[in-house]
Amino acid sequence: MFAFDNINPLIAAGGINAPEIPALGWISNSIVVAVIVTVGVLLFTRMATKRMELIPGSKQNLVEYLVEFLYGQVEGIVGKHVAPKAFPLLATVFIFILASNWFGLLPGVGTIGFGVTKAPLVLEVMETPLLRPATADLNMTLALAVVFMAVWAWLSISELGFWGTIVHIFGPKGGLQGALKYLLTPIFIFVGIIEVVSIVFRPMSLSLRLLGNIFAGETLLHTMGELGEKIGLPSWMAVITSVVFPLPFYFMEILVGALQATVFSLLCAVYIKLATTHDEAAH
Amino acid sequence: MEGILQTFGLDWPKFISQVIIVLLVYFILSKYAFGPVLAMLEARRRRIAEGESNLKVIEAELGKAEDKVQSMLNQANLDAERLITEARESAEAVRGQKTQEAIKEAQSIIEKAREASRLEHETAMSELRRDFGRLVIDATSKVTGKVLDDGDQKRINEETAGQVAL
Repeated sequence: MFAFDNINPLIAAGGINAPEIPALGWISNSIVVAVIVTVGVLLFTRMATKRMELIPGSKQNLVEYLVEFLYGQVEGIVGKHVAPKAFPLLATVFIFILASNWFGLLPGVGTIGFGVTKAPLVLEVMETPLLRPATADLNMTLALAVVFMAVWAWLSISELGFWGTIVHIFGPKGGLQGALKYLLTPIFIFVGIIEVVSIVFRPMSLSLRLLGNIFAGETLLHTMGELGEKIGLPSWMAVITSVVFPLPFYFMEILVGALQATVFSLLCAVYIKLATTHDEAAH
Repeated sequence: MEGILQTFGLDWPKFISQVIIVLLVYFILSKYAFGPVLAMLEARRRRIAEGESNLKVIEAELGKAEDKVQSMLNQANLDAERLITEARESAEAVRGQKTQEAIKEAQSIIEKAREASRLEHETAMSELRRDFGRLVIDATSKVTGKVLDDGDQKRINEETAGQVAL
């Protein structure tokens, strides 16, 4: 009755590569969504903070709550001294990723676009979705990671100095003194080299983790949406299952979207903390 | 690495445009959202701290004012009690004085009445004697048929007055 053998995950949003929109040259659908999210976030925050008052309105209250909450979290991780410098980037990263992730759950994202038509306004095969979650594109996730790493490097050097950063990575730790310090120096240099390798791979790990989770979520939703059709259910039943099957996963993706935004910004905060912590023994 | 990135769809123009978008969001949010909001939160925090410190000052001043009011009330109570005692004593003294004056006045009135009664009694007795003497003279002259001269009348008057002891 059902043809389970032909069920393969539907690669969502035109594949792992964010495709270019035919009418817009090299501009991809994820860039379009990134611009929409950017304009949306900026407009909302501008409206909320244009006329700020000591007794806030609802929009100002929401933004203040979010900023206060995020600042508290950032301060708790990176410390009072570094928090004012690190907060703008970490908050930007969190808000942007969260908005992008949740934007991908709106109806029409990944399902409206260009492709082979079988009837007017009905596609046989979706080739280029008009909208794609910005965080389901490596270009965006890597851009986020690279911008973070640039700010991370600036924060590290501004806090410890260039030489201090080198010593922080390669130097002996734990307040070692005397012969033991010199004896263990080669080990610490070796550990420093491993640390440098891990730093170099941080942009990749950050960006691929986010990309993988969000793209997998999109793929899951698309697969569940077309599952009824793929297993050979009658068309009227396939219409119903295209709503019912993805529904639980929508709720899961809301959670995943928030979780991935948290994980990305939390890791960034921890990296900043690790790089800007003064070695107590050095003082 | 290059191969992995190509497989996952890295495209430098798109990457650079995404970097620009991220930087734009970062700078605009930092300048127009986080800065003003953090400044507002700081202003509110400072205002609350000032309010709390003012509250402590106000509480201390309220305590002082309450102490002052209490001491003023205590003083006013003492003054009031003193005034009441003085007024009571003064009223007592006035009452005694007035009573004495009234007693003296009453005694004076009684004395005067007694004197007036005595004088009235004496006057009445004198008139009575005179009238009695005249009646004795008239009776004597009618009994004796003799016209009494002044010397007789005087003698009879004196004798009558001497014998009548009213």
